[in-house]
Amino acid sequence: MKVKIMSPAASRVDFKVPPAPRLATFEGKTIGLYNNMTGGADVAVDRFAEQLQRRYPGVKFQRYGGDLREGRPVLSRGVHIDDEEAARIATEVDAMVGATAH
Amino acid sequence: MVAMEKAGVPTVAIAAQSFARAWQSCVDGWGQPTAAYVVIPHATTGQQPDFIRNMVDGQVDAIIQGLTVLPVTRGPITDQKTNGATEVFTVEMDASPEGLDAVNRFLAERDWSDGIPVVPPTPELVERMLAGTGRNRQDVMMVMEPGFGVATVEKIAINAVMAGCRPEQFPVLLAAIDCLAQPEMNHRDMQVSGHTEAPLILVNGPIARRAGINCGTSAMGPGVVNSANTAIGRALRLCLINIGYCKAGTGDPNFIGLPTKFGMCIAENEELSPWQPYHVDQGFQPHESAVTVVTVTGPGDILDSGSRSHKDTLNNIAQLMYYPGSGAGGWIRGWQSAQVGHTNQRVSYPGPYHPVMLSPSRAVILDHAGFSKRDAQEWLHERCRVNLQEAIGSRGVPRDDNGKWLHHPELQALEGDPEATIPMLESPEQYLLFVTGGTTHYANFFYGTYGIATRPVEEF
Repeated sequence: MKVKIMSPAASRVDFKVPPAPRLATFEGKTIGLYNNMTGGADVAVDRFAEQLQRRYPGVKFQRYGGDLREGRPVLSRGVHIDDEEAARIATEVDAMVGATAH
Repeated sequence: MVAMEKAGVPTVAIAAQSFARAWQSCVDGWGQPTAAYVVIPHATTGQQPDFIRNMVDGQVDAIIQGLTVLPVTRGPITDQKTNGATEVFTVEMDASPEGLDAVNRFLAERDWSDGIPVVPPTPELVERMLAGTGRNRQDVMMVMEPGFGVATVEKIAINAVMAGCRPEQFPVLLAAIDCLAQPEMNHRDMQVSGHTEAPLILVNGPIARRAGINCGTSAMGPGVVNSANTAIGRALRLCLINIGYCKAGTGDPNFIGLPTKFGMCIAENEELSPWQPYHVDQGFQPHESAVTVVTVTGPGDILDSGSRSHKDTLNNIAQLMYYPGSGAGGWIRGWQSAQVGHTNQRVSYPGPYHPVMLSPSRAVILDHAGFSKRDAQEWLHERCRVNLQEAIGSRGVPRDDNGKWLHHPELQALEGDPEATIPMLESPEQYLLFVTGGTTHYANFFYGTYGIATRPVEEF
């Protein structure tokens, strides 16, 4: 017996983001360090910064944590960067490394 | 991180091993399946700094590579062709053990199931399900995260068939989906959080009886009398899996999961309740039907056999409220934010709401003592308190440049008082008293986690 069944899986919204251009060098660059204020995420990105600076002493860092909205520094966890915040941060850094406690 | 890539900034994320598949599923949904990330063996929460540093040290080269080498492009993982038409498959079945299980194996191989055998979603059964609503089959109820799947009425109907729903139950499921579509529901965090929570469907009004939803003895358990409760709850879960791409271990990274995630649906026992139904509290008329969805973890059982007064009963309920780490008093930091869609638009919402499933007998005790539902809520709100210092905790509270609290500045004068307490929840109605189940000396208590929404059920 042949049974016809309909796919239960949904189509996804057609949304594509091409990768950003990568860095050619770290010299003179500023790297954003983002953690979402869950436990230990700050330690993880800071360790990467420490190791990177050993290899590239000229590199600078800019730290971001938690809720990035005005007046709400470093408190809320689990937040995501919205488009407006991303545009602002893009003027401050050349690349970003991020971690959550996950 | 994809938001940063979209802004032209190369990124690399650091994720724990158990979240690697979840991360991949997430960036698929965010339109950049090649987003760079590295994997460390354990989540960092609670680990000693040196342990975290050692884990990161092993990934430094990979992070540098991710920032400097363009990832290979590939398409997002999707289970459904995007030409609009639902795919129809032909499966061979026969009376052999393998043949009888053919449809289930077909669905399981594609990860299109909750792991329990389903009713085959044939076009005929789907048509019959669609007859249970006046909506058009291509109407879009919502975009379901984390996969950003398009929840058409037809896709919801297919999953409803699989769950064993009947057409007269379909409007309840659609109303539950409508709840998830509300920004204040924060369905994204419900789906993708690493801790355990599940949607609880609460049904009010005449639809409960028409749909056959049990509101009496053992209504949240197994059994033929609960087939509507089970099917509707399960159907919502199948939608979250197949439409939202919230699949175990990928979109759904719960560290252990919850049995309640298979589905929870219950109606209020309006006939035996001494109080007005919950949906009337929300502004509906008694003759109207409404569905509420609230995200919860738990439940815990409240034994009230030793009570001799209404205050004993309320004290028993209150005792379960004290759960370290549940976010009690977190409201002093302001409302939580849901973030919605590919733009991460922020929507603030109050919460959490803690549902207390009160047996009609317990509600009667309170009613006879002259307690309205609101009185009981206010009693709990006043007496369930947390030490202010504990609520502030190590995270502190948001302040302006002058150190003034941004939220609830009226409480700041108590900041230095070690004895000061505040209510655990911001407002009394966050104790969601819902009268249901058998007429016994029990109640069940759920901890609310994220959002809540109530929506009307279509009259059809």
